[in-house]
Amino acid sequence: MLIIRPLQETDLDDLYRMAKSAGKGLTSLPANKDRLAGKINRAQETFNQRCAPEAGMYLFALEDTELKQCVGISGIEARVGLEEVFYNYRLSTTVNASRELGVHVRTPTLHLSNDMTDTTEICSLLLSDTHRKGGSGLLLSRCRFMYLDDFRRHFSEKVFAEMRGVSDESGRSPLWDALGARFFDMEFSQADYLSGVGNKSFIAELMPKFPIYLPLLPGAARAVIGRVHDNTAPALKMLQSEGFNFNGLVDIFDGGPLVEAFIHNIRTVRESLNRHVLISRKPINLEVPAEERVMISNRSFRDFRVTTIPMQCIKPDTVSIPAEVAEALDVSSGDLVRLAPLKDAGRSPIQMVAH
Amino acid sequence: MWVVRPAQLKDLPDIKALASALKARVSSTVPADEAKLAEKIEYSRRSLAGEPDTAGNERLMFVLENTKTGKVHGTAGIDARAGSGHPFYNYRRDALIHASHELGVSSRVDVLYPSHALTDRTLLCSFMIAPELRGTEAFELLSRARLLFVARHRALFAKLMAVEIQGVQLESGAVPFWDSLGRHFFNMDFETADAHSGALSKTFIAELMPPNPIYVTLLTDAAQAALGQPHAMAAQTCDLLDREGFQIGNYVDIFDGGPVLEARTDMLRSVIGSHRKTLRTGEEIRGDVYLVSIGEGEAFRCVLSVLSEGLVETVKMPVTLQTQLNCSHGDELLVVPL
Repeated sequence: MLIIRPLQETDLDDLYRMAKSAGKGLTSLPANKDRLAGKINRAQETFNQRCAPEAGMYLFALEDTELKQCVGISGIEARVGLEEVFYNYRLSTTVNASRELGVHVRTPTLHLSNDMTDTTEICSLLLSDTHRKGGSGLLLSRCRFMYLDDFRRHFSEKVFAEMRGVSDESGRSPLWDALGARFFDMEFSQADYLSGVGNKSFIAELMPKFPIYLPLLPGAARAVIGRVHDNTAPALKMLQSEGFNFNGLVDIFDGGPLVEAFIHNIRTVRESLNRHVLISRKPINLEVPAEERVMISNRSFRDFRVTTIPMQCIKPDTVSIPAEVAEALDVSSGDLVRLAPLKDAGRSPIQMVAH
Repeated sequence: MWVVRPAQLKDLPDIKALASALKARVSSTVPADEAKLAEKIEYSRRSLAGEPDTAGNERLMFVLENTKTGKVHGTAGIDARAGSGHPFYNYRRDALIHASHELGVSSRVDVLYPSHALTDRTLLCSFMIAPELRGTEAFELLSRARLLFVARHRALFAKLMAVEIQGVQLESGAVPFWDSLGRHFFNMDFETADAHSGALSKTFIAELMPPNPIYVTLLTDAAQAALGQPHAMAAQTCDLLDREGFQIGNYVDIFDGGPVLEARTDMLRSVIGSHRKTLRTGEEIRGDVYLVSIGEGEAFRCVLSVLSEGLVETVKMPVTLQTQLNCSHGDELLVVPL
């Protein structure tokens, strides 16, 4: 069984192994044991409410219960930009026009902004290569939306994700080479690493503060602004199907886009429903394809758990689950759980119940 | 003999022929269009006549005439106040240090700020001369005669002076600085923009120029190389102005990136070194060559002459020259060594 639960100390070795194999491009999880241990600690502080709500860093582990291994993680940062300054470029338009000469020129322009300050970010998604099938990535990503909705007062109304921008195999970013490197004598991969270990705002302070007129940049750099890395395209597609949209902001280093949504508009939130647990004594075949599965969460702030079950388990007022699932979710009969579709193409639980 | 005198409408065909023969950039201050040129000459005449509507915004135009042929071989202008009542645009070159104590780095970032700071300075402009005269005494006479005019009419002019020097333009006619910057915003080629800046109100610059500072490092290499560099053809002008006491400051032209030379009016060699002398008639003249000016306003004339110094602020000048300048014993001259 695959189950989502809060990240804990015992996951450190698994996490380090995943971060190492992920390599460059994963700025938020550098393969550095001290840093990772620090992150786990921060997550534990958050779930146990030993830190201010706005300092919260919620990290969830995907555990393969058979292997007893953490095979993926995903996270929510309650508020960005409060301790450090959070920078983006806003892609906007400057118009210069002269009626006298009949000239009207639109110049795309990057403005440095801190607009996302105090906003909730979904981040740190990492999945082991061994578990890329069967909707594990969807579970890892979407489980967060149920959490966000159930504990809204801990988060901002709006939530966003930074998508990885374009870089080549050797880790070169066309935007960094044309812009960042001009102001800061450093390779993109190095800057990217420093960002991950918490030096991003230092670097940002070295970046140009005045607007950047895009026609002054080479074509290769202009072309990647607002575009995602090929490896990130599926993640972008998934977020788009949840109702996330490009919000006009891009990463100051690689030009990757930010996508955002209001929590109440997120598809997983809108299409989810609550049911009382009924522990079934009858055997239930749990091995159904991802298309026929739904996510089920125990709605616990401190010990948030989510797994997937066949849609058929959903009844008009209850959800029937086998004892082993109830145990994994730490729920008993009568507890209220939350259900939401796992796949885009699948029928939602609501439709299922209606039939 | 060469004489520098205020431009008159009769000079119009000569000036027009000169402007079209010189492909170099003079159009922004010497319009090629005949009507505009006539307007400019007329405005100069009215400024010299002291007509009230020109007060404070005098724009003067002088010509270099060959007295034998009556033909004009060059022009030189002074705008009493740069912008003449409108904003005068430049980029100011400045620098920012982007430093991080935590990361142990510090780097200098060059920035071009849009600026109106030179507005209302006295501007030397509209300089053009027949190519064969470049570097000759006539060239120096034409350029420096203006400064004698300034010395003679000091109250008309500002404390600070500026001269825009033509920037780099390639054989092909391409202007690297324009192509890297202005073109994107003005959406026109350099000649068009330059012609507009000479002919139209400057409103279009305010409307089309990028409103925010420009990072030099984002310009093309060719544009960066051209920034603040004078056109090869302007080298002699720069040398002459350098000797006068002009210096390259922090300002560049918004179109071609050419340098702006600056000076304090009262520190210019021709202003400091000029002296009022009384003309005495003499036969044997031995001495150095001077720029000699006589007359005020429309009557202003400036020539080159050998003078011999007399006692009590007097000079002797060849009689032939006196006849040509229509001056005589007892007249007051303003002179400065060549």
